[in-house]
Amino acid sequence: MASWQVFEMFLVGLGAGVIGAILGLGGGIIIVPALTLGFGVGVRDAVAASTVSIIATSTGAAVAFLRDRLTNTRVAIWLEMGTSLGALSGALIAGIINQRMLFILFGVLLSYSAYNMFKARKHELPIGVTPDHISTKLKLTGSYFDKALGHRVEYQVTGTVPGLILMYFSGAAAGLLGIGAGMFKVPAMDQVMKMPFKASTATSNFMIGVTAASGAVVYFARGDVKPLIAGPVVLGVLLGAVLGARLMVRMKASRVRVLFLPLIIYTAIEMIYRGVKWW
Amino acid sequence: MVVSEHGHEEVSRHEAIELVLARLLRIGSIVAAFLLAGGIAGMAIHEPFATKMITAGLLVLLGTPILRVLAAFVIFLRDREWHYALFSLVVLAALAAGIILGRAG
Repeated sequence: MASWQVFEMFLVGLGAGVIGAILGLGGGIIIVPALTLGFGVGVRDAVAASTVSIIATSTGAAVAFLRDRLTNTRVAIWLEMGTSLGALSGALIAGIINQRMLFILFGVLLSYSAYNMFKARKHELPIGVTPDHISTKLKLTGSYFDKALGHRVEYQVTGTVPGLILMYFSGAAAGLLGIGAGMFKVPAMDQVMKMPFKASTATSNFMIGVTAASGAVVYFARGDVKPLIAGPVVLGVLLGAVLGARLMVRMKASRVRVLFLPLIIYTAIEMIYRGVKWW
Repeated sequence: MVVSEHGHEEVSRHEAIELVLARLLRIGSIVAAFLLAGGIAGMAIHEPFATKMITAGLLVLLGTPILRVLAAFVIFLRDREWHYALFSLVVLAALAAGIILGRAG
């Protein structure tokens, strides 16, 4: 492989890492098409490299988010139960499920999230949230110093059970359809659990690494992770995520939301299209 | 006094887990980045160990989130946060089952 190609892969990773860290997504939406279309890498190898990249985004960005208290570790571990059990069931029922229906279902769900996100595009922080019974019992509150607003943000969490159920299905979707689950995690925390948007993306970022790790182990065992491809991409993603996290903590939530919108709309359309295509 | 002390304790306890996990993830990132950068530089000079270094870097990265859940479990136990210790255990069990099934499948 030519050295300029290695450098270009590094740059693709860098860009995906910055964007993924800011939005709480894995960056697979960028890496898989870039590797397959731009470098002629096979889909299997591209997906394997992208899965390790998700871990890099999560790990690289989480350091800054944890220090700034943007990550809610309690919410994360509560919801990780849903994603990990969902991913497990998704893998188990993969053979007996109609994928087309699922693509359309999740596509419609994402469209609805995009619509809600568009309506809330000017909102900086949630107001008047009443915590539910479980949220109170589990002390699912949070507080962080917002560097963009220049003051401390204290928040309550609600919708703990609907949030967990959504995470279960998002985990199953990730297992069944191989799509980025970060895209579902952010709206679930933002719209259902009424968390501040920046806390939602930071907590999503924290969680995606765990789900991706179990998938990555399988890709490693199968020998799909090619060091010459994954190496430069993942190094780029790692550095990009560190950079992206530093940018994000200084950004206003409304700005992050506006950046999130085009990606969620694109993914919703793409999923519905994939579902309808083979009908 | 007792009440405020308790309140303060709650805050510092909550902060501790974030700092411990941040340190763990930082070490994982730095070690992985060094191995990856070293391996890629080695590729340029056709060093035979280059590919192995990259693989080692990727494996360090892969192990970091799993270690993170394990560390959270230990911290929640230490802090007597039984609910959260149990939640961490559920996540670990699901991860282990997924890995075993994935290998078998």
